Parts: sequence; C-alpha cells; structure tokens
Amino acid sequence: MEDDDCLTTLKILIIGESGVGKSSLLLRFTDDTFDPEQAATIGVDFKDTAGQERFRTLTPSYYRGAQGVILVYDVSNSQTFHKLDQWLNELDTYSTKSDIVKMLVGNKIDKEKREITRDQGLKFARKHSMLFIECSAKTRDGVQCAFEELVEKIIQTPGLWESDSKSSRGIVMSAGGSQAGQGCSGYCSVL
Amino acid sequence: MDEKYDVIVLGTGLKECVLSGLLSVSGKKVLHMDRNSYYGGESASMTPLADLYKHFNKGECPENYKGKDWNVDLIPKFLMANGQLVKLLIHSGVTRYLEFKCIEGSYVYKKGKINKVPSNEKEALSSPLMGMFEKRRFASLLKFCDELDENNPATLKGIDPNQTMRDVFEKYNLDQGTRDFTGHAIALYTEDSYMDKPCLPTLKKIQLYTQSLGRYGKSSYLYPLYGLGELPQGFARLSAIYGGTYMLNKPFEGVTMEGGKVTGVTSEGETAQCDMVIADPSYFPDKVKVVGKVVRCICILNHPVPNTSDAQSTQIIIPQNQVSRNYDIYVSCVSFAHNVAEKGYYIATVSTTVETDDPESELEPAFKLLGPVKEKFLSISDIYEPTDDGSESKIFISSSFDATTHFETTCDDINKLYERIMGEPFDFSKIQSTVDPVDN
Repeated sequence: MEDDDCLTTLKILIIGESGVGKSSLLLRFTDDTFDPEQAATIGVDFKDTAGQERFRTLTPSYYRGAQGVILVYDVSNSQTFHKLDQWLNELDTYSTKSDIVKMLVGNKIDKEKREITRDQGLKFARKHSMLFIECSAKTRDGVQCAFEELVEKIIQTPGLWESDSKSSRGIVMSAGGSQAGQGCSGYCSVL
Repeated sequence: MDEKYDVIVLGTGLKECVLSGLLSVSGKKVLHMDRNSYYGGESASMTPLADLYKHFNKGECPENYKGKDWNVDLIPKFLMANGQLVKLLIHSGVTRYLEFKCIEGSYVYKKGKINKVPSNEKEALSSPLMGMFEKRRFASLLKFCDELDENNPATLKGIDPNQTMRDVFEKYNLDQGTRDFTGHAIALYTEDSYMDKPCLPTLKKIQLYTQSLGRYGKSSYLYPLYGLGELPQGFARLSAIYGGTYMLNKPFEGVTMEGGKVTGVTSEGETAQCDMVIADPSYFPDKVKVVGKVVRCICILNHPVPNTSDAQSTQIIIPQNQVSRNYDIYVSCVSFAHNVAEKGYYIATVSTTVETDDPESELEPAFKLLGPVKEKFLSISDIYEPTDDGSESKIFISSSFDATTHFETTCDDINKLYERIMGEPFDFSKIQSTVDPVDN
C-alpha cells in the first residue's frame, strides 16, 4: 500500500478481560473483513493487548492516539461483564483523545449458556454512550457489522481524525531512513 | 505466579525491558515484574504532573497545570539517529509503536555564550566557533573520520589506531577550543581522559555523529513523542507479544538460592521458579557498588531556552574546560511539541557528574543559560555497578544510567549483559529475521 493512497490511519484498540475472544475477533476483522487488494483510502491499525491485560499491566503507550476502542466481554461469563467499569476507568486515565469512539461488544453468542442478556449489554452501553453489538467471532455473526459501525462513527466525528495531519506528526523510523509523517503502515483497509 | 520460568526480570527500566524483549523473542519464557505501579523504573516519564510532584516530595501540584498533558523524564537522554538504540528499535520492530522528532539544535558553550554545533558544511563556514583556517582543518578531520574504515588501512591515512587522540589533534593542528567541542559536543565524552588513549574509538565516535547527521532531519538526535518512558514500554510490548508475562505493583521479597545459584524469586509469599534473574541495581543493594554520583535538575520553563532561535528542543553541552571542571554539564530541553508538557511549556533538564559537596551549585553555569525557571526538581543519584557478574549466581544486574546525554553507553551495558546471559554477543541479524513478520 502506497502512502499516497492513504488519507489517514485509524488506531483502534481492543480491550477486555483475558479469554473473552479479543484475538479471535481481531483475526476475523483482519482476515475476513478486508480485501487487501481493494484501493485503500483509510487504513486501520488494530492494537491487540498481547496478553498484558491479564495482570492489568497494559502500558499507557498502548492507549495513545487511539480514535476508537472495542471493549469486549463474553456473554457466557458474567465476570467479564462486571469488569467493564474498570476497563472504562483505565481508558479514561490513559486515552489522549476525549471524544474517542467506544463500542461495546458481547462476544460468544454461539454459546448455549448465556449469563448476560442482550438487554443488560444494551443498558450498559447506553449509560456510557457506547455503540453496542453482540457477535460471535466463531460463527462470524455480527462481526463485520461491529467493525463497520465503529469506523463510520469515527469518520463522522469531527476533529477526531482530521487533526492528525501529517505535519503535526513525528518521524516513523525505518531501516531506509526518514519517512516523515508516514500515515499508513499497511495494515488493513476499508472503504 | 507458582510457575517455572526461564528468566525472571525485575524492574521495567529501559535496559531490563530491552533484554526481556530480546529473550522472549529468542524463545525464553519470561516473567517481568516491577515493584512500582508504573513502567520505566529510573527511566520512567512521570505522568500526570502530580506524580512528578509526589516523586520529589514537592507537595501538591498547582491546579492551573493540565496534569495529563505532562510526561516528564526522570533521566534526560536523546537517541543518536545512527546509534545502537535506533538500530535495535528498527530491527526489533518496536519502532512501530513509537513516533520521533528530531532535536532542533545542538549547542556548545564557549566563553559564556552558546553557539550552534555546525550540522553541515554551510553552518560550519559561518560558525563563530572557529576561525577561517581552523574551519578548514576541522573539516578535513571530519572528512577523514567519515571515510574511515578500520578494516581498510588506506582509509587510515597514515594514522596508527594506537596513537593517542592528542596526537591526531596535533596532526590536524586544531586549537584547544576546537578540541573541546570535538571531544565533548561531537564525540560526546564527559571528561578528557580520551585524549591520552588510542584514537580509534574517538574517531569512530566522530563518525557516528557525522553519520547520524541528516539521517532524519537537521540534528543528530531524536526524541520519542510522549517522552522516553515510551521506550521501555515498547520493548515490554515486544516481550509480551512473544509470550512474556507482566506484573506491576509486585513487591520483591528476595530470591531463593541453591548451591550458589538462583532458583526463584519471592513476592507476596509466593515463589516463582527460574533459571536466572535479570535486575536493575535497586533490587540487589548487596551486589552493587557506588562508582559515582549524578546530579540532575528538571526545570519547568514557560519560554524556550534563550539564544536558541526559539527552538522547541535543544541540547547544550558545557565542556568541562570552559568552566574549570572535570566533567561536562548538559542541558536537554524538550517541550509541548513532543507531547511531554502542556502547550507553551518547556522542560529543560540540567545534569552532570558530581564533583563537590554542593552538587546543585555545580549546575549554576547551566541555570544561567535558562532564563526564569517556574519550578525546579533536584535529584542526586548514586551510580551503581554490579559486583557480581552473574556467572555463578545467574543473577545479572545492570548498571545505573550515567550522566551522558545519549543512549550509547546504555546500549553498551545491554550488550555486555546480553553476552554474559547468553554466552554469545548479540547479533542483529538474528532478531531481524524472526521479528519482521509479526503484526497486530
């Protein structure tokens, strides 16, 4: 992907308790949702937690500059739902953009034993002004929808992404030398 | 925690995080703990600003500051654009978590004034640091260093690598002022003992400087947005991606030993088993010795450093000869342009190796260059070196950060530790091939 094709790169975080299926969701987003051959105008750089959520040791740098966050819980495990407040607190502490777009995702709806109803999820999301969706990374139900809604909301939020113009950004190092203000690192693309 | 690990790393300073990352990448099972609730140890960037006031026992942070906008480095340093740390960042892929800016100007102190260290031929020609003919002699030394290849005798141009640097300066007929800024603002020595040592290492340092110039912008130095604390966090992330386990806020209650060799680390009554331990000096006070002291003073300004063309970032080197000292004094200034302070504010940190009983007044020549200061945070730190090389105990301890303004000595220590731990020197080519395909 050439830099010129790329208007901007969005940074989207995926957070939530260990085992709720963040990595599987990420795989679904990157493998299924996107056609890498498609002409790209917006790149999306997903940030996984790399297991650092297990002992609540995510680095503040992980949160920097993110325009969107996907907060995941497991509908078959109420523990993961009750920890959501803590995650929102941590997000408020470290996120550098005040109008970051948040989406709540109830994962694993394919499981028979449900502990959190759709209504509970919806109420929580409303209370915290979040987008909400239930899905299954396993069966792919709702995954595409979750992603598209989030990106659309970011694009529609004035000032959330335009301000990251190339001039205000720093140098991205590479073995080849300077690439000032490089906007797109070739992750996955939409639109 | 009741598990068996190959390596347990104590402290999340830069050196420990780099080693943790490299060892995870090479397939070791790593547990990484810190007694603090934040990443970075001695090399952390304090955020929000209230944490800096707390760290220095300075009471409440004034309410008019936007605390969240601040990331204040406890130890100021810059990266050499062509230096070892940049190579490590690129080869490990950690650079993708970070963004950098070039430091705008590097200045050197001469006779009470500061002058820009020439960053190209044009600046060298107009620089007041040297006279007309001196400039030509200086330029030919730079050219010689730039083309030097120790494996190709022709490039040595008749200089024996074992000759002293003093001999080389004589040969190029350079005066004391030029020697001062070449040795201290270009080769970046903290004192003058290099003059009577073999010249090759010094020539290579000059080469590193010239080859760092213009690599990413005007000066030889880079600085990460959001502060130096981003560096250890980036390497911690690398380690985590390769399976490293992270625990913060974890009190250290000692190690278990068997036959003189470490077997585990105890915290909160639990012991995790391991084959070796890597730690910063604060975890093993009985296995380190004090080799010196550094005084550092973090100064908050609401204006750029005077006489730097309003630069948003600067380095000023005060060579020891200029102020009748044994060690140089440094000023490192960064600002809101690097997301380390709120809009309109600058952070200038002054540091040197302590020589007297009154360290703060040793910094006086530098304070005079700064203009009015809003707030000062002074620290005097012991520099520790390990007394145990870990060959028997398998406890590998890093050295404290020294007074230098760049990361070259930091990387030397990382390399030394790596070799002691792994039994072979670190090889960039190994990490490059394994890390590149990883993406998130």
